[in-house]
Amino acid sequence: MSILAPALTIAGKDLRLEMKTRDVVASVGLFVLLVVVTASFAFPTGGEGREGIAAGVLWMAFLFAALLGMGRSMAIEKEDACLEGLLVSPAPREAVFLGKLLTNLGFTFAVELVILPLFVILLQLEPAGGALLLVLSAFLGTLGLVTVGTLFAAMAVNTRGREAILPLLVMPVSIPVMVAAVKVSEAGFAGTWTASTTSWLLLMVGYDALFLLVALATFQHVTEE
Amino acid sequence: MKTDALQQPVGELRPEGAAGVERGRRRLWGTLTLVSMPVLLAMALVYAPEDANQGAAQRIFYIHVPSAWIGFLAFAVVFVGSIAFLATGKRRWDDIAASSAEIGVIFTTAVLVTGPLWGRPVWGVYWTWDPRLTSFLMLWLIYLSYIVLRGYVPEPIRRAKFAAVLGIVGFLDVPIVYLSARWWRSEHPTQFVVESGDLPMQMLITLLVGVATFTFFYLYLMAVRLRVGRLRARVEEAEVSR
Repeated sequence: MSILAPALTIAGKDLRLEMKTRDVVASVGLFVLLVVVTASFAFPTGGEGREGIAAGVLWMAFLFAALLGMGRSMAIEKEDACLEGLLVSPAPREAVFLGKLLTNLGFTFAVELVILPLFVILLQLEPAGGALLLVLSAFLGTLGLVTVGTLFAAMAVNTRGREAILPLLVMPVSIPVMVAAVKVSEAGFAGTWTASTTSWLLLMVGYDALFLLVALATFQHVTEE
Repeated sequence: MKTDALQQPVGELRPEGAAGVERGRRRLWGTLTLVSMPVLLAMALVYAPEDANQGAAQRIFYIHVPSAWIGFLAFAVVFVGSIAFLATGKRRWDDIAASSAEIGVIFTTAVLVTGPLWGRPVWGVYWTWDPRLTSFLMLWLIYLSYIVLRGYVPEPIRRAKFAAVLGIVGFLDVPIVYLSARWWRSEHPTQFVVESGDLPMQMLITLLVGVATFTFFYLYLMAVRLRVGRLRARVEEAEVSR
């Protein structure tokens, strides 16, 4: 059995469920908007060096979006033993992982797509030349966060702490990809692509590729009984 | 994975004499630690020459660097134990990984305490975002979350599997953590960190004695911690079978 077809089926199921309930994107989107607005009051968002502050606030918001979305999307599977259903289905474990990864990426990208333009307007940024960098950092950074997060979310829902423990697992391990994403976003807001920006991009590519492989290899261990 | 291997009792079914061998090992590493620790202290405080620039404060180096070495060694053992557990399903590997993680966190804490104590008189600040210190802070956080995760999973087999996955992900993260800390720092001018280039011979010898001493100490703590884990598992089994 191929991997991609069942993965798309699982992601499609989550998408249909989300279209009907609008549970995740609505609540996570509102929460992230609140984070951005609160941060705009809390930090100096004008003048020199505001790109750095903006990039930091942006990634705190994206991190919250990813964590909340992944926690929800795995909690849904715990209801009525849906996860067990997925695991006894003929779909290989790698496909289950890829399916949930696609779902989580979809949720997080959807929120980011709304937040990023709003963010640029609210913080009076003018990332004319850096739009490509912003998109790249959002894509690579989110991919890294969500890859590690999807693996850990499958563990977290089976602990006593449920989703509450997810941030504790994801945040320490994802510091490097967060730092890189913030750096690239900062360059994006400033519109300057330097040699160090390329290094940070490569670091994210390496991080994403490494942990995608590790997650595919170890996902079976966190789901089998 | 072979489930029968997972369900083997930890406390029993061990070959006769295994307990004796382990007691002997504990005594060996314990004795070596007891003998070498005072030697190390004497060498660090008396034998090693005083640093021309840093004065007496530099002597914390002989505790700081061996602690860092043990922290790193301990987390490498967690990595190996985690892979071996997922490959074989033997609970012994999980015991080794869990014990090593706890000891690693203790030594990493020592690194994070002695670093600032050394930094204050030498750099004028307790903390500097030096790539090595920053990396150890992140390592400390990763393995703290490893211990917290273990506490949140009551079922032993599940706990072992989850912890093994985090043990693998966490250790593979180390080179990326170090790289990011280095690049990040190169963009942030911080306190100038004195590089200890060529060490005088007496300093080098003292450092090597420190590394050996702390390795004995690590092996002793491992032996004791493994025994505690085994005894705990036996108590749990006895309670279940009653």
